[in-house]
Amino acid sequence: MGNIVGAFGMSHVMFDPEGVEQQAERVLQGLLALREELRVLSPDLLVLAGGDHFNNFNLALQVPFAIGLSHTFKTLGDGGVPISEFAGNRAFADGFSRFAACANFDLARAEEIVVDHGMAFPKLVLDPRHAIPTVPLYVNTAMPLPPAPRRCFTLGETLRRYVREERPEDERVVVVGLGGLSHWLRVAEEGLIAEDFDRAFLGLMTTGRAAEFATTHSADDVIAASGNGGVEALSWLVAVGAAGDRGGKVLFYEPIPAWITGMAAASFYCQQVGG
Amino acid sequence: MGGYHIHRMIQDLLRDSAAAAQFAVDPADTFARYGVTSEEAGLLESLSIEGMSALQVHPNLQMKYLRLRSLPGAAGKPKRGPLDAYLSRLIED
Repeated sequence: MGNIVGAFGMSHVMFDPEGVEQQAERVLQGLLALREELRVLSPDLLVLAGGDHFNNFNLALQVPFAIGLSHTFKTLGDGGVPISEFAGNRAFADGFSRFAACANFDLARAEEIVVDHGMAFPKLVLDPRHAIPTVPLYVNTAMPLPPAPRRCFTLGETLRRYVREERPEDERVVVVGLGGLSHWLRVAEEGLIAEDFDRAFLGLMTTGRAAEFATTHSADDVIAASGNGGVEALSWLVAVGAAGDRGGKVLFYEPIPAWITGMAAASFYCQQVGG
Repeated sequence: MGGYHIHRMIQDLLRDSAAAAQFAVDPADTFARYGVTSEEAGLLESLSIEGMSALQVHPNLQMKYLRLRSLPGAAGKPKRGPLDAYLSRLIED
């Protein structure tokens, strides 16, 4: 059996520091601290749970959850992230889609993903040398009808069971939920940051109350409270569900009006088998 | 007013660089091909949140539309990329 040895949540962008130099530096330092935590965990595999920005999926066919099956992935080169290529893990991704299908999750299986900034930036932060095979797990938070928070959390729990029950002995897996926190894009509220909501969300995620959040909020609730971009935080629930909702610690939170978003990262405690 | 035809136009342009280049210079033919009315075109070309929201253009596709309408080779100093200030500290050789 394998182990989920680490889980994190993190914003998936940064912007130019001009005018917000100190906050930008704190964000960068927080992300580099996250990189160091990951390095210590020495994972064999990363699962990045996050969204696509109309680069692989669009309104023509709207997919709630999808998994990238490929042996290798290229990055799109958007969001300022250099184009690069990294290894996937077909056996893991194929196996999870089959395991999930027996656990009430029908994941769309994607063979031709080109990873956009939503995962390419976190990959650059977490694993800049592309040394760790990485499986993209897509959560629709861009198109209408995102999955319910409860479903995202349960998908994470299902991922944990898969790693424990199906994966090779001592395989070390880290799951990272990507996006958010609050922001509104191209709507009248653009520029608002729901700092109270962000801090409450981080509090629940890091005190073992993610399941409580997931079962008492709809996706529409999250959008109303934290914006049409803030709903990206649903992906964090996948990571917390995979970790077992055992609490954690906030690595940083910076509401940055110039970037029209609340920036954050958190580390979630995991209970390893036999640990 | 508004509808999926506008979304389809933007999504198609994102997948066709030649059509996107033509659209950046002169969108009229593309508007006609997708049945975009002059009133709809006016709201799109306002590039405003209010105008595009009136057409119920998806927020992400609004941003992509703005990019499609930015002319290549526009004057002015090259804009710094969003990560340029950090890349040397993020990339490891």
